[in-house]
Amino acid sequence: MKEVFIGRENLLKLIGRWAKDHRVYVPVTFDIMNHPETPDYELVKEEVPASLELHGACPAQTPKSFLFYSREVVSKYPNSNPEAEVEAPPTVLVGPRACDLEGIKKFDKVYWSTKHFTEEYDDPFYIEKRENTTIVSVDCTAAKETCFCTIVGGKPYVDADFDLNISPVENGYILSVGSEKGEKLMAGSDDLTSEVTGGHHDEQKRIRGSVTEAIERQNAEFKVDVPYDKHELGSDEDAWAHVTANCVGCGACNRACPTCTCFLLWDQKADGGYERTRNWDTCLSIGYARTGGGGNSRANLPQRLENRIRCKMEYSRDRYKLVTCTGCGRCIDVCMGRIDMREAIKHVVTEMAKA
Amino acid sequence: MKNLYRPIESVIEDIKKETHNITTYRFRPKEPISFKAGQFVELTVPGVGEAPFTPSSNPAVTETMEITIMRVGCVTEALEKMKVGDTVGIRGPYGNAYNLEDFDDKNIVIVGGGVGLAPLRSLILALFENVEKYKRISIRYGARTPMDIVYADALPEWEKYPNVDVHLTIDEPYPGWQGTVGVVTVLLEDLPLLTTANVDDLPFTVENAVACVCGPPIMLKFVNMALLEKGFDPNQIYHSMERNMSCGLGKCGHCMMGEYYICKDGAVMTAAQVAKFEDPF
Ligand SMILES: Cc1cc2nc3c(=O)[nH]c(=O)nc-3n(C[C@H](O)[C@H](O)[C@H](O)COP(=O)(O)OP(=O)(O)OC[C@H]3O[C@@H](n4cnc5c(N)ncnc54)[C@H](O)[C@@H]3O)c2cc1C
Ligand code: SF4
Ligand code: SF4
Ligand code: SF4
Ligand code: FES
Repeated sequence: MKEVFIGRENLLKLIGRWAKDHRVYVPVTFDIMNHPETPDYELVKEEVPASLELHGACPAQTPKSFLFYSREVVSKYPNSNPEAEVEAPPTVLVGPRACDLEGIKKFDKVYWSTKHFTEEYDDPFYIEKRENTTIVSVDCTAAKETCFCTIVGGKPYVDADFDLNISPVENGYILSVGSEKGEKLMAGSDDLTSEVTGGHHDEQKRIRGSVTEAIERQNAEFKVDVPYDKHELGSDEDAWAHVTANCVGCGACNRACPTCTCFLLWDQKADGGYERTRNWDTCLSIGYARTGGGGNSRANLPQRLENRIRCKMEYSRDRYKLVTCTGCGRCIDVCMGRIDMREAIKHVVTEMAKA
Repeated sequence: MKNLYRPIESVIEDIKKETHNITTYRFRPKEPISFKAGQFVELTVPGVGEAPFTPSSNPAVTETMEITIMRVGCVTEALEKMKVGDTVGIRGPYGNAYNLEDFDDKNIVIVGGGVGLAPLRSLILALFENVEKYKRISIRYGARTPMDIVYADALPEWEKYPNVDVHLTIDEPYPGWQGTVGVVTVLLEDLPLLTTANVDDLPFTVENAVACVCGPPIMLKFVNMALLEKGFDPNQIYHSMERNMSCGLGKCGHCMMGEYYICKDGAVMTAAQVAKFEDPF
């Protein structure tokens, strides 16, 4: 694997070069509203923003914002085009963490079915964006208090299946090339980089180790006897009602999640005809499972939160061979009821053991 | 790449009122859409939205497609306001189909409730294409009142086949109704025996039977119980599952039931497949 060292000034220059022929999004710190420690993405315009923040844990948004837009026109009619009209300019996304790359796997399975799974339908709107996007992942250098990747089989850094990876170290970064796409981004950048030294490697190893340990430590209290990929959480009404006590059904947890792939098609008038839009949807909302005439297989809120948690831990595992909670902690961060996946699972497992 | 969300324009060619809230439409898609019995399509009312429906016409007819639709809400109400010559959108077909090869030489029990007979009609018409292949086709249909019976003029025609029997029931007594009264499970009580002259000599054995059921969730639940009690193996009972659907493609998640996507793994599911769910219907 090709590795180089780059200082911060030169990294900004390199990103600036990418921005000449790509849309480039980088994580920056915001002062307003956002939690200062949680950066979010900004489009690079003339200059790479000085507030570029590559330390800490995952940015507020997940890669799905860039690969699967929250709202997108997918067809216009009458006289609809049999071919999909997709806008997917070459894009570089700097900042996703290991948990985010894990999350993309679920999107690949659902929307790029023929390549990643056995289903027959491929979604052009996802695939073209996915193909035209290069992801520059970043090692976590600190954990949020809600991070728990290590208890769902993950770790806070990427060492396989990536395009280009950034490991922040003292006075700069190690850049590792992991794919052809990553290789392309590095072409012609020798003037900006130098060789990685043993010292850099030692520091990369130390940071990776200490963040992993911190996450393990802060999650010790949530340990359950069942391995994370062996859950069968059941439908015990009381247990789920307890977990749901503070939930208002807002669906923020679904929207914030890197593996919530669900959507709703919505038709409306446009330009003298009609357009079909595809919108993120949330299984926590009451209308999600409502059928014609008023039936609803998940009419009660506890049933809906149960569906979300079991979708992550069981259903996607059974369908796609992928546990789809990556432990990013975003659903906890955004929840006004402070509902915590880890506590929820622990509660349900404990109650089941009693029964 | 092909756009899988695109509605194919289809002209309404005929409208036939079945009951006060159920109508059969004949559509002519501008690009042919062929389907197998059991599969469904997504029907677009322009600007209003889409909803899933199972065609009720013979799958062997490919230039046109009939769908029998009950008015219940937003899309179906808007459809009712449309006229012959208007254009809707159709995409599909989606979902699995009945495996008709498995039905050869069998007794086929078809149980419909309300508008649930509509999806079963395409199965019935498909079976009629090779009617001699099957031992006996027993159609059991329950409607709320005599006014709610769909395909009223076709039912007597169906019975003319030597191995087909049709039995109706209505939920509650109704002035002038001479037939059976009670929910559709009453037609299953004496299943092996209940018969009409034309099928008298065709013995019915549960071991050699399959059941295809479609209707409101509460009906599926009770018919399922009744059939299991009669000795049907859960693998012999095919239910048409109803779930909220948006894409029909196994992507949007709306039809999810555990690890199943009803739009892909169903909508026809065996009682065995759904047995592990506490309340699958
Ligand atoms: C596989 C299958 C086959 C079916 N076959 C038949 C059949 O043959 N005949 C028949 O009468 N019925 C059939 N149904 C039931 C039929 O799909 C419903 O009656 C229909 O969806 C009702 O739609 P509606 O908009 O009129 O009702 P509503 O009650 O208004 O809506 C039903 C659901 O659709 C959603 N919805 C409504 N409007 C929109 C919109 N603009 N955009 C997105 N979502 C919206 C809502 O979320 C609501 O939960 C079938 C259902 C399934 C799943
Ligand atoms: S974010 Fe919290 S309150 Fe909102 S739906 Fe999710 S669990 Fe419920
Ligand atoms: S948790 Fe809900 S919204 Fe998220 S992927 Fe699963 S079903 Fe869809
Ligand atoms: S369920 Fe919560 S912690 Fe798990 S991947 Fe989704 S947002 Fe992250
Ligand atoms: S209807 Fe979209 S996944 Fe089944």
